[in-house]
Amino acid sequence: MSWWRRFGRRERADSREVIRRKLETFRDLVERNNRVLELIAGGEEKLGGEYVFDQQYLLTLARGLEESVRATVVDLNVITDGRYRDLERAFERARAAVQAVLEGRLVAPEGEHVIPLEELDERRAELAGEKLSRLAGLARRLSCPVPPGFVISTQACQRFLRRAKVDREVEWIGDVTDSQELDRRCAALRRKLTEAAVPGDIARAIRRSAARLSRGGAPWLAVRSSALGEDGQESFAGQYRTLLGVPADGVPAAWREVVASLYAPEVVRYRMARGLHPTRGLMAVGVMAMVPARAAGVAYSLDPARPDREVMLVSAAWGLGRTVVEGVGGTDRFEVSREPPHRVIAATTGHKERMYTLTPEGVQLVDVLPDRLDRPCLDGSALQQIAALVLRIERHARRAQDIEWAFDEEGRLLLLQARPLAFSVPEAQPPPAEPPDHHAVLMRDTGAIACRGIGAGRVYIVDDPTPENAPERSDQEDWVLVARTSTPRLSALVAGAAAVITDVGTPTGHLATIAREHRVPTIVDAGEATQILAGETEVTVDAEENVVYRGTVRELLRHQLLQRATVEEAREYRVLKGILRRVAPLNLKDPSTPTFSPAGCTTYHDIIRFAHEKAVAHFAEGFRFRPSASSHVRRLDLEIPLDLVLVDVGGGIAPRGSGTAVGIDELRSAPLLALLDGLTAEGVWATEPADMDLDGFMSSATRSGALTGTQVEQNVAIISEDYLNLSLRLGYHFNIVDCYLGQGRDDNYIYFRFVGGVTEMTRRSRRVELLRRVLEAHAFAVESAGDLIYSRIKKIPPEVMDAHLRMIGRLIGYTRQLDVLLRGDELVERYAKAFLDQEDGQPPPDRGGHT
Amino acid sequence: MRRSAEVLVLDDEEIVCTRVEEYLEKKGFSVETFMDSQEALNRLAEKNFDVVVTDLKMNGPTGLDVLRYVQNNSPTTEVIIITAYASIEVAKEAEIVGSFGVVCKPFQLQEVHRLVKQAAKKAMKQS
Repeated sequence: MSWWRRFGRRERADSREVIRRKLETFRDLVERNNRVLELIAGGEEKLGGEYVFDQQYLLTLARGLEESVRATVVDLNVITDGRYRDLERAFERARAAVQAVLEGRLVAPEGEHVIPLEELDERRAELAGEKLSRLAGLARRLSCPVPPGFVISTQACQRFLRRAKVDREVEWIGDVTDSQELDRRCAALRRKLTEAAVPGDIARAIRRSAARLSRGGAPWLAVRSSALGEDGQESFAGQYRTLLGVPADGVPAAWREVVASLYAPEVVRYRMARGLHPTRGLMAVGVMAMVPARAAGVAYSLDPARPDREVMLVSAAWGLGRTVVEGVGGTDRFEVSREPPHRVIAATTGHKERMYTLTPEGVQLVDVLPDRLDRPCLDGSALQQIAALVLRIERHARRAQDIEWAFDEEGRLLLLQARPLAFSVPEAQPPPAEPPDHHAVLMRDTGAIACRGIGAGRVYIVDDPTPENAPERSDQEDWVLVARTSTPRLSALVAGAAAVITDVGTPTGHLATIAREHRVPTIVDAGEATQILAGETEVTVDAEENVVYRGTVRELLRHQLLQRATVEEAREYRVLKGILRRVAPLNLKDPSTPTFSPAGCTTYHDIIRFAHEKAVAHFAEGFRFRPSASSHVRRLDLEIPLDLVLVDVGGGIAPRGSGTAVGIDELRSAPLLALLDGLTAEGVWATEPADMDLDGFMSSATRSGALTGTQVEQNVAIISEDYLNLSLRLGYHFNIVDCYLGQGRDDNYIYFRFVGGVTEMTRRSRRVELLRRVLEAHAFAVESAGDLIYSRIKKIPPEVMDAHLRMIGRLIGYTRQLDVLLRGDELVERYAKAFLDQEDGQPPPDRGGHT
Repeated sequence: MRRSAEVLVLDDEEIVCTRVEEYLEKKGFSVETFMDSQEALNRLAEKNFDVVVTDLKMNGPTGLDVLRYVQNNSPTTEVIIITAYASIEVAKEAEIVGSFGVVCKPFQLQEVHRLVKQAAKKAMKQS
């Protein structure tokens, strides 16, 4: 169908009045989009620990999100005449997931059935359980040696339980009050589960992974529980099944047994006694290679009965750790100084008659060799290694620790488990942490707390925050990251820092979110921290009271270690985290991929992103609009050949304007004006054709067909006085800018996407690299793939928004034909520098320069 | 030595009681918490507090009932009302009838501390 005929049909279908109504709806959609993002950011801010919130807040938040997202789906269907009805189903799914969290129902997130340990960290705790995701996180972040293994996820457990059809039995158990009846019903349910068929794909995945472990030299495996909530709010210590010495082919049956221990009568009673739902649980299960241990045991980073002492406690026995845990054969006990070099303060050597060990037949309890009976199983050097390991974990977790460890036959120390230490005396209550007098206060109440906590270390002022410039994290030294802006480039360094302070930034920004994810104490918007702290060496950041002290304030650090229940363990906090996990992640990024569809939407964020993109696409398919003197659609008169059609959704064009075209003086859209100002600045829009070598030309010739078939046919800007969505095709480059520039900073954002190029992929990738450097220098968060780049920035004041939009205008003009010139990697740096220099008042770069 | 100010915290949500208690105690206040407003009223009948921090909407006697009781029976005690943002209009009314201040949920601990400190100072001066 020809362009004009299609146009004619649309024109008849969408009368002027209909278009006006759709544009109004679009404006609502944009506002709702902002509202949802604002609610998400507000929720994330509450996770910093600074706020007290209750169930009512959670309900209000969930309702607010639900209403805005539901209305967005309706808006999209109004705009597109009901083209995306199936988005309603995606909304229903996402809503149900949030509702389940609110009601405290456990629902496993979508995910793999079997996950290798090295692919996990704390962020996947809902799939792998707290215990194993924490262990995996320590292995990854602190390079703690742990035995190889994998996790059978809560998703696998959920499917198995559904398939076994045990809902009714599970419900019955919850209703039982008679103790003997409870035992009987639990036994029947567990029998049913241990005999139930494991779904074929799960069984295959388990067998494959177990066989791989076994082939790697571990004939015997440990199958351990890692239930949701275990080692979290309630310790559940020793309540669930652990099976040792399992051969690879026995893992599916062992898994079933550990899953069934969710319904052990002692577990049900334990849950009831703590006011938890008696049978609500999901079990992830860890399968780990068993270490043929020479000696093993437990270590506490503090004495649980006397936490004021500067000692840690170590219990040890020959053979496997089970010997100590079950207390079957006598143990050695050590008190070791917390101070390096971790001197032994007291030692009691036990008479160790029996030990568990790995034999060709599996795990066996055997007699200890006579010459070892009364010999300590650890020497000073082994104790030092254990002490260093437990302190390293304590510093990372910011709480006193209880770990299980083992030395293998080669004398290598391995971490088997780590959890917060439970104190055994009421005196372990944290002492009042009044500001200690003998430490100078360097900063007080400047800025906002983005993540509560206390951290101390050497001041590290970051000028160029790239991972290569990260200071080494050593056992002896922590560092406090101090930076001018909270640029997303700091993110890579945050996880390893003891604390973070930035001069500018907001508690709802990207960096703050990352800091909370890693629980790193963080203060943002602190004014002149980079200057005040420039001459300091060691500082202590109290991001609970918002104070920075000179030197290391041991009293504060100790206070933090002794905290029994952290804010993160409160039910409300966990529910909020659960809601945000189902609301905030953005899975839909690239509109050109097939997963960019209603079916691909799993979170509210996905849904609003999809709706926004499709609503824009509806308007931006240029042939819908014919500029006319009295409509909302006009052509923009510019000196440069942009061929831009404006669609005004409200206040974007001066009311007195007449004629089908409007001049720049009639424009009232603040973001478009800023962007055009940059784009039309002197020297930015080069009109001479860039020269092209044969490779570049051939590549261009073969690509042009594909490009013209997929890109927009007209440049369109949807505008209001504070909003701009610009779809701009220049040659073979396709730019999208979506932004909101209001007077407050909270709603403001810029999203900039760029794709395409005229040359082969290498050069187009170089341009992406150039864009990345420039955008990151302006604190944008950037992601790229091939010749596609997405970048975004949010919550910035209007004057900075204005400057950024000018910069993007200049950047679009500057890079218009640049990939042709990017013949070598070294030129990327040169052109990026030239662009940035020009911003600083340097002369314009020589666009035609070759080397 | 100056005695530490006595604060009664009343909210039917446990997390609010726990966190406010923990924070104020760290700051040197002596704190008692209640999740049941009738129990809190009983306690107010037997002991004089410098400051009462109370939620507005609760089952049984409400925050306004607590405020009225304190005004009639313990005139030197200052009352701070905690309320969800949605109930802010009622809270404004509370302000009019003489509470020391109003805090909207979700709130920052420092906000409550600031108000409690001022209220305690005033109460201790009066008593």
